[in-house]
Amino acid sequence: MLLIILRRILQAIMVLLLVALVSFIIFRYVGNPVDNILGQEATLAQRAALEEALGLNQSIYIQYFDFLWKAAQFEFGNSYRGALPVSDLIASRLPATLELAITSAIIGVSLGVILGIYTAINRGSFLSNFILSTSLIGVSLPTFLIGVLLIWIFSVELNWLPSFGRGEVVDLGWWTTGFLTLSGIKSLILPSITLGLYQMTLVMRLTRAEMLEVLKQDYIRLAYSLGLTKKQIYFFHALPNILIPVITIAGLQLGSVIAFAIITETVFQWPGVGLLFINAVYYVDIPVMSAYLLLVGFAFVIINLIVDLTYLLIDPRLRDNQLKLEV
Amino acid sequence: MTSKPVKPLLEIQNLDVTLKNRDSYFKALDDLSFNVLPGEILGLVGESGAGKSMTGSAILGLIEPPLFISKGKIIFKGKRIEENAISVRGSMISMIFQDPLVSLNPLRKIGDQLVETIRTHINIDKAEAITYAKNLLEEVGIDRERFNAYPHTFSGGMRQRVVIALALAPNPSLIIADEPTSALDVSVQALILALLKRLCKERGTSIILITHDMGVIAETTDRVAVLYSGRLSEIGKTSEVLNSPKHPYTQGLIAATPRIDADSLKTKLYQIPGTMPDLSEIPDGCPFHQRCSKSIPKCSENNPPLLYDRASCWLLEKESV
Ligand SMILES: Nc1ncnc2c1ncn2[C@@H]1O[C@H](COP(=O)(O)OP(=O)(O)O)[C@@H](O)[C@H]1O
Ligand SMILES: [Mg+2]
Repeated sequence: MLLIILRRILQAIMVLLLVALVSFIIFRYVGNPVDNILGQEATLAQRAALEEALGLNQSIYIQYFDFLWKAAQFEFGNSYRGALPVSDLIASRLPATLELAITSAIIGVSLGVILGIYTAINRGSFLSNFILSTSLIGVSLPTFLIGVLLIWIFSVELNWLPSFGRGEVVDLGWWTTGFLTLSGIKSLILPSITLGLYQMTLVMRLTRAEMLEVLKQDYIRLAYSLGLTKKQIYFFHALPNILIPVITIAGLQLGSVIAFAIITETVFQWPGVGLLFINAVYYVDIPVMSAYLLLVGFAFVIINLIVDLTYLLIDPRLRDNQLKLEV
Repeated sequence: MTSKPVKPLLEIQNLDVTLKNRDSYFKALDDLSFNVLPGEILGLVGESGAGKSMTGSAILGLIEPPLFISKGKIIFKGKRIEENAISVRGSMISMIFQDPLVSLNPLRKIGDQLVETIRTHINIDKAEAITYAKNLLEEVGIDRERFNAYPHTFSGGMRQRVVIALALAPNPSLIIADEPTSALDVSVQALILALLKRLCKERGTSIILITHDMGVIAETTDRVAVLYSGRLSEIGKTSEVLNSPKHPYTQGLIAATPRIDADSLKTKLYQIPGTMPDLSEIPDGCPFHQRCSKSIPKCSENNPPLLYDRASCWLLEKESV
């Protein structure tokens, strides 16, 4: 068991090193950092001094390890624009993105699982059919359109919810949160629904399909014939057996919610890293882009690792097979 | 007959199960009637698709659209259950399925599954249920130390023992065993059947043993019902039916059963010509007549009723049983 976990962690670290390599290559070779910082008219002496300071004249391996070492300490150099440390920029933006991503993932996954189970259990009922056909709209409309639609209805027409920004936030020192103020929560509603709707639809359809499949299995028929109640059968027999695909998708979705919050953040002018990234692309702010890439990669790897470890928690067959393979 | 007639445990009376396919209706079970007596083992035999599993599902109320019970009564201990089989499921009637590899929940310890079933039906606390479950495991031949093991760590035969323990756990009066050994190694089959038989005899539990194997019928059952195209072809004491089968279909099934003796090893095994028709193609008259070497004109015209409480065959009219 411990061996499997260690192996998974090792794999995760390997992937991270790879992501870091890509991120490093972008950082180092897309454009010339010296040009970017000093501009074209700098003197040779100025350039040499900067190259020295940035360590650009050292061997590529040393530079990579230097990059890793600094990244591990959350140091990504200075932004070309405004010369602020990238780490500060990201640190100030990350809470916004994470709060949005996690809220919408929670909405998407929990509602998706509940509705998926409901529509599977009550197959063919009016409400199920209604939910299913409505959800088709959810998948077929692009995110930005849903966002704009929601803004139009709830901000412009009804004037209930703010259409942009994060509202008032409370600074906890290392984290700024919008969860603690009314305006913060109100501001969170529209963007997280926008971002969560698609996830919800996807999770719901998957949950439903998996549930229908599992309910056909013999162990479910046996459970019925043993006189177990519907509740026991749905929750203790069927549900555990759909967890693996559902958690896989939920994990992937959380990753992509973080990565693709860009669109939602743009629509709602949400001050998160997605918006930071868009602006960085606009101004070719390489250090910010490279750090963002590393960050998103990191998020994916961590989520994947957690998902993998959850598999082991859920399925005894995986725990044992792996052991046999390795011992 | 000198002994007074026993009251049946289960009575199936004129049961029809219909398949609705768009606007057409097909009978998967057609006017099926038979009884199960307390403590007896009744075999249900017939080729694949005869409606054996369907009969089991109907008794437990597990028939689902597009199939539905369209006629008849299922009476258990004097009460009609075809509408609310849930009241007898597990507690009074439980089931064992064919493939033990897929009939246990792979993600849950066998002990948990046992305790869950026990506590659903018997009002005891958890510690007592655990002891009860461990005793049951021992009875079916599994080490009580394996209480916390997961299904995948057991062989097929061992899993079927667990399933038997599950089926026995609520102490039902009837167990429907649907091909309980068909998916197992031949070497294990006899062991499992003997175990099931012994445990049920000890408890006075009746069994409906579904199988397509006449050998299993011969070794295990007290009485046998032969099904063909959802209809009862023949029913009677196992020894009588096997020794002097009345229905040509039963005769065919018996002739098609491999035997290990010097003569039969030399000759090629008999096969009933043709195959059982699909639900949509069941002919008028006796459903078997097209495959029957003894059919007479009447067979293709009218569906024979059960004659002399024994076989549904027009040939019996001329004969005395
Ligand atoms: N869900 C279903 N839909 C349509 N036909 C079915 C369904 N289940 C069973 N049948 C048909 O009902 C008949 C009886 O099936 P079954 O009871 O499983 O036979 P067996 O005797 O092999 O157990 C078969 O012709 C089968 O094709
Ligand atoms: Mg069957």
